[in-house]
Amino acid sequence: MSADNSNWWSRLYGKHGLSGPAALLLLVFFVLVPLLPGKFWTIVSTEILILGLFAMSFNLLYGYMGQISFGHAAFFGLGAYATAMVFTRFKTVGGEIATFDFFLSLLAGPPTAALGALIVGFFCVRLTGIYFAMLSLAFGELLFYIVFSWYSFTKGDDGIQGLLPPPFFQDPVNYYYLTLAIVIAALLAMWRITESPFGYIMRTLRDNQRRAAFLGVNVRLHMLVNFVIAGAFAGLAGALWGPFSRSVSPGLLGWQESGIAVFMTLIGGAGSFMGPLLGSVIYTLLQAVVTMFTTYWPLTIGTIILLIVLFAPGGVLGLIEKRVKRRRGEAADADADDEAGIPAEKR
Amino acid sequence: MDPSAFAIQLFSGLSRAMVLFLLSAGLSLIFGVMNILNFAHATLWLVGGYVTYSIFEFLGGQFGASPWLLLPAILGATAAMAAAGFALERYLIRRTYGRDLPEQLLLTFALVLIIGDLIKLVWGVENRRISLGIEPIEMLDTFINPYHFVIIATGVAVAFGLWFFLHRTRFGKIVRAAVYSRNMVSALGIPIPMIYSGVFALGVGLAAFAGGVFLPLLPMSLGVDHDIIVQCFAVVVIGGFGSMLGTFVAAIIVGVVYSFSILFWPDGALAMVFLIVILVLIWRPWGLFGTELRY
Repeated sequence: MSADNSNWWSRLYGKHGLSGPAALLLLVFFVLVPLLPGKFWTIVSTEILILGLFAMSFNLLYGYMGQISFGHAAFFGLGAYATAMVFTRFKTVGGEIATFDFFLSLLAGPPTAALGALIVGFFCVRLTGIYFAMLSLAFGELLFYIVFSWYSFTKGDDGIQGLLPPPFFQDPVNYYYLTLAIVIAALLAMWRITESPFGYIMRTLRDNQRRAAFLGVNVRLHMLVNFVIAGAFAGLAGALWGPFSRSVSPGLLGWQESGIAVFMTLIGGAGSFMGPLLGSVIYTLLQAVVTMFTTYWPLTIGTIILLIVLFAPGGVLGLIEKRVKRRRGEAADADADDEAGIPAEKR
Repeated sequence: MDPSAFAIQLFSGLSRAMVLFLLSAGLSLIFGVMNILNFAHATLWLVGGYVTYSIFEFLGGQFGASPWLLLPAILGATAAMAAAGFALERYLIRRTYGRDLPEQLLLTFALVLIIGDLIKLVWGVENRRISLGIEPIEMLDTFINPYHFVIIATGVAVAFGLWFFLHRTRFGKIVRAAVYSRNMVSALGIPIPMIYSGVFALGVGLAAFAGGVFLPLLPMSLGVDHDIIVQCFAVVVIGGFGSMLGTFVAAIIVGVVYSFSILFWPDGALAMVFLIVILVLIWRPWGLFGTELRY
């Protein structure tokens, strides 16, 4: 962290995005959410955390590896369906599930998604840029239509209903704390990964693949490993989603769902670790509030995205970063290390 | 498969292919010249269809209903949407040139959401369709809507027109040159911004035209654009970015594969289409007719 103490808010922003104090503030805020009156905010916050984890897993590909995936929701959906299917298998006729079996079904999500990501990624990492985006989109849509049409296995477009968690976790507050614990653990793991040598190889691949190859990096293997990691975290988010919304449907795999991860990441800022989570806070809260007053949610979010693209290209955290750096007298783009999401090599 | 069922699937597949071609041609041109992947292309197609519908209804109210009123309605909608496309490029899309691909995608995707909701505001949620009252004609022991032939003929005619435009006219040649090297074209003193606006207007005009032509066959309804745009991406990827011939062939492949797959796998017909996309991207990422240059 910079030694600069010129004002309190610039201290909340460190070299790698949110600084320690800011993360602590955020944590305290999330822990205290259930104190708010009514269940509504607790439920919204659960959604924020799950979708935030999904968006952050997307950002492993986009912000750190420099490739945009339009099929990332496929892994979110695979995780959700794996959990839902195991869940349904364990469920008694009365629709109850033992706590142990419930956790076991949650565990089914990430490996299934990782396996899917391994197969899809094997082909995707051979391409970059628009071709990477198109191939991931095509795989995502293929998986979507398979889930959509394979009625005997996935229940088709009816989806799988009745994913009622064990009695203790039926209370939104308890499910919220479970989600919070899992998401924090996942974030710590992701933070560890992005700050490891592997994470820095990812940044190199983002900035200049050819140079990385010259340095002896096995480009495709590293991209594939990252793809699988991102898929597994998306699957974890998906696993949490089913019991939260009590159902899963093929739409979870569709490209519009992938778009949500892209939105959140770009709204919050792809250039920092916590950016997508902040994006999820903004997106999900806005959606919860706006849909109370109007059905024109797409119009609202569309306009917001339009304004962000035109006037705040780095997302909200990008804006903050710029202001902080101006305060500190650094050039806005001096710290090239954290200017994520920009593949230097345009094809 | 008996010949009559075969014929029905073939003709509906081909007319579907023509609409996909008209849309993808614009998409491919815009991408080739400006490097913008326009997510909102199918949404503008949808608007074109709705505008055609409104003009058709208005004219019907003025002069009495007649199927022939579809012609001025389509032309009016095409002109109006081309003008809208011109303005869209000039005041919005232009601001993102030189930015990263994801930001451009995000801008056009924001347009999908905004325009989609504006359609809902203006035209409501009911489906809009035009009934021309054409009797199906009997052939091959079955009944086929002759309008399929109108669409196929129109599609082929537009394809030839586009080819002529791109290869035999000055503006078309400039457009093709801009696909290869914008800097060179610019250095020759040709106003590139004007070319960009023109190409965007042409693409949106083609899309609106497709929306109008397809109106008697398929009702316009909210959200269809989300399905159509990914199919257009499929067409452009299979054919190869920037290749008109490729787009035409790929549109026929996608349209026909879709309409035959629907017979044995109704819900998964599009899965077949995306399977082809995946195979093409793995085998030749630059598409069947694209050049390796851009890959």
